[in-house]
Amino acid sequence: MPGKTSKQYKNGNQNIIHDYTQISASEPIPGTIEAVSARLGEIFSDCCDFITREISCGRNGQIKILVAYINGFVDKRVLNQDVIHPVLNFLSGTELHEGSCIYERLKKCVVINNDIKEAGDMQQAVEGILSGETLLFIDGESKALVIGVKDPRGRQVEEPDSETSIRGAREGFVENLLTNTTLIRKRIKNPNLKLEIMQLGKQTKTDVCICYIKGIANEKIVREVKERLRKIKTDAILDSGIIEQFISGTRLSLFPTVGNSEKCDKLAGKLLEGRVAILCDGSPYVLTVPFLFIESIQTPDDYYDHAYFATFMRLLRLMALMVSTLLPGMYVALVSFHHTVIPFKLMITLAASRQGIPFSPFIEAILMIIAFELLREAGIRMPRPVGQALSIVGAIVLGEASVAAGIASNLMVIIVAITAICSFVVPPLIRATMLLRFVFLAAANFFGFLGISFVSVVVLIHLCRLRSFGVPYMAPFSPLTLSDLKDSLIMVPIWAMLTRPKILRQENARGAKGSKRQELKTRP
Amino acid sequence: MMHRKGKKRTGIKLTAFLLVLPLLLTGCWNNRDLNEINIVAGMGVERTEGGKILLTVQVVEPAAIQSTSSGKGKGGSSQPKPVFVESCEGETVFEAVRGMLSVIDKKLFLSTAQILIIGENLSRDGIGEILDFFQRDHEIDYSMEVLVANGATPREILEVETDMDAIPAVYIKGTVENTISRGTVKKTMLIDLIKDMGSRGRQLAIGQISKTGENEIRTEGTAVFKNGKLVGWLGPYETRGYLFATNKVKSAIVNVPADKGKIAMEIMRSKGKINVTFKNGKPAALTVKVKVYANVGGYEGRGKLDPDHLIKLEQSLAEEVKKEILMALEKSQKQYSSDIFGFGTNVHKYHPMYWKNAEKNWDVIFSMLPADVRVDARIMRTGISKSPVKKDE
Repeated sequence: MPGKTSKQYKNGNQNIIHDYTQISASEPIPGTIEAVSARLGEIFSDCCDFITREISCGRNGQIKILVAYINGFVDKRVLNQDVIHPVLNFLSGTELHEGSCIYERLKKCVVINNDIKEAGDMQQAVEGILSGETLLFIDGESKALVIGVKDPRGRQVEEPDSETSIRGAREGFVENLLTNTTLIRKRIKNPNLKLEIMQLGKQTKTDVCICYIKGIANEKIVREVKERLRKIKTDAILDSGIIEQFISGTRLSLFPTVGNSEKCDKLAGKLLEGRVAILCDGSPYVLTVPFLFIESIQTPDDYYDHAYFATFMRLLRLMALMVSTLLPGMYVALVSFHHTVIPFKLMITLAASRQGIPFSPFIEAILMIIAFELLREAGIRMPRPVGQALSIVGAIVLGEASVAAGIASNLMVIIVAITAICSFVVPPLIRATMLLRFVFLAAANFFGFLGISFVSVVVLIHLCRLRSFGVPYMAPFSPLTLSDLKDSLIMVPIWAMLTRPKILRQENARGAKGSKRQELKTRP
Repeated sequence: MMHRKGKKRTGIKLTAFLLVLPLLLTGCWNNRDLNEINIVAGMGVERTEGGKILLTVQVVEPAAIQSTSSGKGKGGSSQPKPVFVESCEGETVFEAVRGMLSVIDKKLFLSTAQILIIGENLSRDGIGEILDFFQRDHEIDYSMEVLVANGATPREILEVETDMDAIPAVYIKGTVENTISRGTVKKTMLIDLIKDMGSRGRQLAIGQISKTGENEIRTEGTAVFKNGKLVGWLGPYETRGYLFATNKVKSAIVNVPADKGKIAMEIMRSKGKINVTFKNGKPAALTVKVKVYANVGGYEGRGKLDPDHLIKLEQSLAEEVKKEILMALEKSQKQYSSDIFGFGTNVHKYHPMYWKNAEKNWDVIFSMLPADVRVDARIMRTGISKSPVKKDE
């Protein structure tokens, strides 16, 4: 949706962009209060939330100051207590002829608030106002003060809905960028935790923050992230998901190469492993790169519990991943091609459940899976109170009635149910498996197991080729990094995890494809 | 740079080519739904009086099986039968398989067949021809049990209805598999049969099935073949002797006469070995060495099971086993002159030069040779009590 609107803007209302760009081209701040007021009024015309106020003060009311901010964005009480009040107090005994000193003194000792910046031109002033700060202009100056008295209103920090865990912190990120950075800083009290900010989006000017631990994160990856972020040319960054699409180097792959999380402890862990996080103002989802395949079967809980359980759960998750992609295809291959491998008793059960079903197993599977996906989608889109009705309808229609009516076989319902359960076990890959399931189904219907193995090989080749910010996607399995296997499918206890993932530190991670070869070539 | 690109492209081409190759492999090609096949549970072949092959199949009705297993309490005669039996004639087995399609609606799926019953008439005429089909066809499961019908046609046996299993063929297969703990029927899988057909110096022996009542069958005994043709039968005890000698007994119950009654010995382990001893370049005797380990299963005699008694028991157990082996040898030598034990294989293996000349009339040589059977029996455990439950009078 954002992409569409930005296109419309570009084509239809070109002059607005044109107007705006004119102001923002380092235009000096006019020296008089009238001119500034007029200019701001012009820029913020038809903006009911824009507030300016001229105050005359000083002994004779000769000193004029201008306060401008966006209503609702600033904490008015703080503004009055920390800025307006001391300024008025200070100026009440001051003469005009002391001139330019006023500005410096206001900046240095009068305004109580700590977050003071200086706007040297109109563009900075306007940006300051738009990002929720207050502009303070003194008549006769060519600079203005930008004072941060932002009202940190927003959603409270609460447990994230999308990622729940039994052990571990319940705090999840919120929409407010500053709250999020605080949440991270709270966990990693280290000056090496760097938070670099930049603004993205021509129209939205969204604050985007790159977060990493200097000395742990690979500099090359940090640089690469910055470079890719800088290359983003778009009107709107409404969510980190948009950033994700721009920076993931492999745009056509089904598999995600950028991770996201709502959980603070998980993110802290990723940072400590040497990953780079990208926080986006207005989105509770924080991106992490590089994102590798193995991360989709790791959860924060693994590290808080015994390694045995974690290992078991990881194997289980891998199995679930396989099952959710392969099971319907396998079933179709079995019942339409490879009757010979089915044990006799099972075959009779299978044949009995298939009896009288008018569709081929393939069509039956497609119908049932689509019905399930529809239900799932409806469950997400529907207003929550209606959801219950939906699940009842789903259970009865999908489970009972379709079998009773002879449209689907009992076994197919079981298969689809198992597939569905398994697909929820590995959330990061849920979309990839959903589509791959159909591919495997089609392959199974035309070529049986041969088709399944064919597609598997293609998918595996693709996965092994895939790279996330230069790091091989299938690491530590391919290329095999023995020391990194400690935290892969089999997890060693936390006290035995002595080293950070090596693969993230690899100096020439980006060129890993031919790195060794190239080195050998350049040496002689 | 150009060179590298070219290399890369050939790489892709090669990979694509290699990936396409497996599509040319043969395999299960046709997409056939389970709805579109008739699941065959058992097969029977017999020769008709007109000399044609009569194929009988027992086909499963999956839906009926589910309803019988879920709604057993309902009873009633309107319930559909879980299997149906259908026969068709043909010049060859394959023709009969295809000819069957004129009486049934869906293609026969033979892989699931659990048993193959060969009729007596056909067996007497020779089973070589029909075995070829079962060996050649890709759909046949080699682990299918083969039995020879005695006194009944295959169709009669396949039509038996039993309460023990909805599918009679599965029931029959079960009884054959029980030979593990009784040793009175020769368990013959199709693959064994095909192997034996090809081996030199060994005649075929196939398990025997007979009909003992209207809805009762019994798998006991062995059908003895000579040159692919049925020549006679071995009874259950002879069969056991035969199995002892050929090292195929896993467990069995052997009764040993005691003072006043019988002691049932449970054979736990048995090792059999056959050999042909040579003297002056000519075979002198057929030797059979068997070692059995047994437990006392039931004691109906008198006196305590003390060591002296046990040694005696061991001797009489050995005696008992020896008797069975001798019975089997006697019959196969004198009555059928068919070397089902595979002594000939032994000769072929260790005395190839002699075998070359003797192969043709090995049957005669075999039937003339004296037998030397040695059985060594050991009793491992006697159970909880040393004396019989019944008090001495």
